[in-house]
Amino acid sequence: MNGLERVMTALRLQEPDRVPHFERIARKVREAILPGASEEDIVEHLDLDGVRFIDRTHSWGYETVDEAKRIRRDQWGGLVRYTTEDNPVPMEPAIKSEKDLETYVLPDPDEEWRYETLRQLVKRFKGERAIVVGVTDIFALGRENFLGDVNYFRAMVKNPPFIDRANEFLLDYQLKYMRNCIELGVDIFWVNGDWAMTERPMVSRQFTERFLAPPLKKLVDFAHGRGVPVIKHTDGNIWPIYDTIIDAGADGLHPIDPMAGMDIGEAKSRFGDKICLCGNVSCAFSLVSGTEEEARQETREVIRKAGKGGGLICMSSNSIHSGVNPQNYLAMVRAIREFGQYPLALD
Amino acid sequence: MNLKEISQAVIVGDADNCAGLTRKAIAQNIPVADILNKGLVPGLRRVGELFEKGEYYLPELIVSGDAVAKALEYLEPLMGGGGASYMGRYLIGTVQGDIHDLGKNIVIMMLRGNGWEVTDLGVDIPPEEFCAAVASGGYDIVGMSSLLTMTMPNVARTIGALKAAGLRDKVKVMVGGAPTTAEWAAQVGADAHAKDGPMAAIAAAKLVGKS
Repeated sequence: MNGLERVMTALRLQEPDRVPHFERIARKVREAILPGASEEDIVEHLDLDGVRFIDRTHSWGYETVDEAKRIRRDQWGGLVRYTTEDNPVPMEPAIKSEKDLETYVLPDPDEEWRYETLRQLVKRFKGERAIVVGVTDIFALGRENFLGDVNYFRAMVKNPPFIDRANEFLLDYQLKYMRNCIELGVDIFWVNGDWAMTERPMVSRQFTERFLAPPLKKLVDFAHGRGVPVIKHTDGNIWPIYDTIIDAGADGLHPIDPMAGMDIGEAKSRFGDKICLCGNVSCAFSLVSGTEEEARQETREVIRKAGKGGGLICMSSNSIHSGVNPQNYLAMVRAIREFGQYPLALD
Repeated sequence: MNLKEISQAVIVGDADNCAGLTRKAIAQNIPVADILNKGLVPGLRRVGELFEKGEYYLPELIVSGDAVAKALEYLEPLMGGGGASYMGRYLIGTVQGDIHDLGKNIVIMMLRGNGWEVTDLGVDIPPEEFCAAVASGGYDIVGMSSLLTMTMPNVARTIGALKAAGLRDKVKVMVGGAPTTAEWAAQVGADAHAKDGPMAAIAAAKLVGKS
């Protein structure tokens, strides 16, 4: 099997030849492993089964506002600020009141430059490794970039139609973006954006069903209608709401956040027959401050608990961020090859 | 008037009603301390309980916070003088490298509603800026928030800077944020840990012996 077949087989909840693996890897870690390497180079160098990029990267740095403070305007019209991480953090939303929506003009999803990276990935990897494209969750996009956290949460209680209208704008853009990606050859969509905090979901089950799940279902239905599977990412404790993601039709769930008490063995027994589990070697502890052997053993445990019968893509618990020890990540990759051959023999 | 009505307006997040009732209470010469301690604080305490029980989530916290903020617009000008005194002065910021401020802002809302005078340093605050603010004097507690695993070491670094500057004994230190734990807080030399906004208000009151 090649990487693409491996990942697709896992997403169909079947056993590939070995447990698949791919990651988004921060520049600092890439530099330590293979100086000068791009994300694509490192995918090839480590023979990863997929390559992942996120739509936000080409919407963030739209316009420089303050170079010294590393503040930029994103494509939605809000401000983001870059820190030491590759991903900037939202500072100021695009829409501050309902009135702003009346005159709001969406960014153009058909602009050619958005798809340059995808074209390169297709040229280099199509048919061999899974090409995984990020589509930011409508809730996360609305909350972080469009309306801002506080305005969004307030409107959920006080003005639900405002959220509905904002969601329509965002869905309009995202569905066109997805359509273009499908035409270019995307294999899998990755819906990134958190629904939960460490302790609990961000909003009640009632609000999850009212505001979060329906837009996700629209993204999933659109992708499925064109034969493309979807992996949903959310950090945090989603025990109380995981079924809403499964019911929306997602094919994979990432990362089964261990820091939020999400045990991947329990996830396997509760819903491993309904959705592919993608995770969950800790990038907060073992990959950062553990020994190589600890990273190896944790990877083994993840495969042992969740790999049986397929339906597992072994990944970190978020991403290979700049704080990850490169040697520990390499130990994880080696461990997946060492312990992840099917049939598994780990019990 | 029955100050429980103010508590109820906070619990249901009705900002306009909360403000109206607060103005009415002031007009009736009800002491500010009573409006705070028998109206807003019990309301916020109940909101905190509902959050801890998993019945309230972030949206409910935000609208309750709005209700408290509206009431404080009328109460704060009357505080600090001869009337009600603050619980104390609280300095807060996210540590260097961390610009996630939702959690910090919820903590501020809970503290203000519980009668604290809060100075918000903002986000991405280097240790020397925390030190300068503490040195300016008068704070009972300094709170540091770290939402990312990778910025947690900067909490320890900031506490170290306070020690090096001879300021550590002048202020209590509280830490919090999603990846933090009470054990870790003790390890880095903090006086208290709070896992979320409602717990922060409780921990702060304990630290100054007013719980």
